[in-house]
Amino acid sequence: MSTPPAGPTPPAPPPGPPGPPPGGPPGRPRRPGDAPFDPGLQVERTLLAWRRTCLSFAAAGLVAARFTAPALGVTAVVAGLAVAGCAILAYVATAHGYAREHRGLVEEDGLARSGVPMLVATGAVLLLGALCAAYLVAGILRS
Amino acid sequence: MNAPRRFPGTVYRDGDEPDPRFSLANERTFLAWLRTALALYAGAFALEALALPEALGWRAAAAGVFVVLGTVASLQAWWGWAATERSLRRGTPLPGLGAGAIIVAGVIIAAALVTIGLFA
Repeated sequence: MSTPPAGPTPPAPPPGPPGPPPGGPPGRPRRPGDAPFDPGLQVERTLLAWRRTCLSFAAAGLVAARFTAPALGVTAVVAGLAVAGCAILAYVATAHGYAREHRGLVEEDGLARSGVPMLVATGAVLLLGALCAAYLVAGILRS
Repeated sequence: MNAPRRFPGTVYRDGDEPDPRFSLANERTFLAWLRTALALYAGAFALEALALPEALGWRAAAAGVFVVLGTVASLQAWWGWAATERSLRRGTPLPGLGAGAIIVAGVIIAAALVTIGLFA
C-alpha cells in the first residue's frame, strides 16, 4: 500500500547537521510534516478546487434565494441560507480532509480518499438542478 | 492489503493504488465538471429570472436546453470520475470525453435559441 509516487519524490530532509534551514520560520525547528508532499502542490490545488466549488454552491443558493424571495418569501430565504450553510460545512470538512491527506501522504500511507464526498456533491448539484427546473416550470405556468 | 473498504466498490475493488497525484488530478476534474454543471443551471435560472428573451417559447426552450446540459455535466462529473479512477487503478487507457461534444453542441443550440428569441 505504501508505494512511493513514480515521479518526483517528496523532498527528503537534507543530510548534515540538524537545525533550522536558512530562510525557514525562526524560533521553531522544522518538522517533517512542514514540507509539501510534492513540488506540484497537488493536494493544495485539490483543496483550492473544493473551496471554489463550495463558494460556487453558496453563491448559487444565495442568488437563487434573492430572486425567488418576492414570490416565496421566508421559504426562499431559509432555503438559500440552508444551501449556504451546507457549503460552509463542506468547506470546513475539506479543510480537515486536506490535513488528513497531507499527513497520510507525507508519512507515505497513501491516499485515504473515497467517493462519498463526491457522490454527495453530485447529488447536491442535481438537487439544485431539480429546483432550477421547478422554477422554470413555475415561470412558464405563471405567464 | 487490509485497508478499509472504500466506496464505491466498483471503483476500488480491483487494481492497484495509482500515483496519488493522478487521483487528486482526477478529483479536480470532477470538481471542474461540477462547477460547470452549476454554471449551466445558473444560466437556465438567469434566463428565466431576467425574462431574457421576452418571447416565452424561445426562453423556455433555451432554459430547458441549459437544464439538460447541467444534468449531463453533473452525470459526467460522477461517471467520468469513477471511470477514470478505475482506469488509473487497472492501468487501462483513460475514457474519452463524449459528454464534451454534447455540451458544446448544446451551448451552441441554446445561444442560437436566445439570439433568435431576442429578434423574433
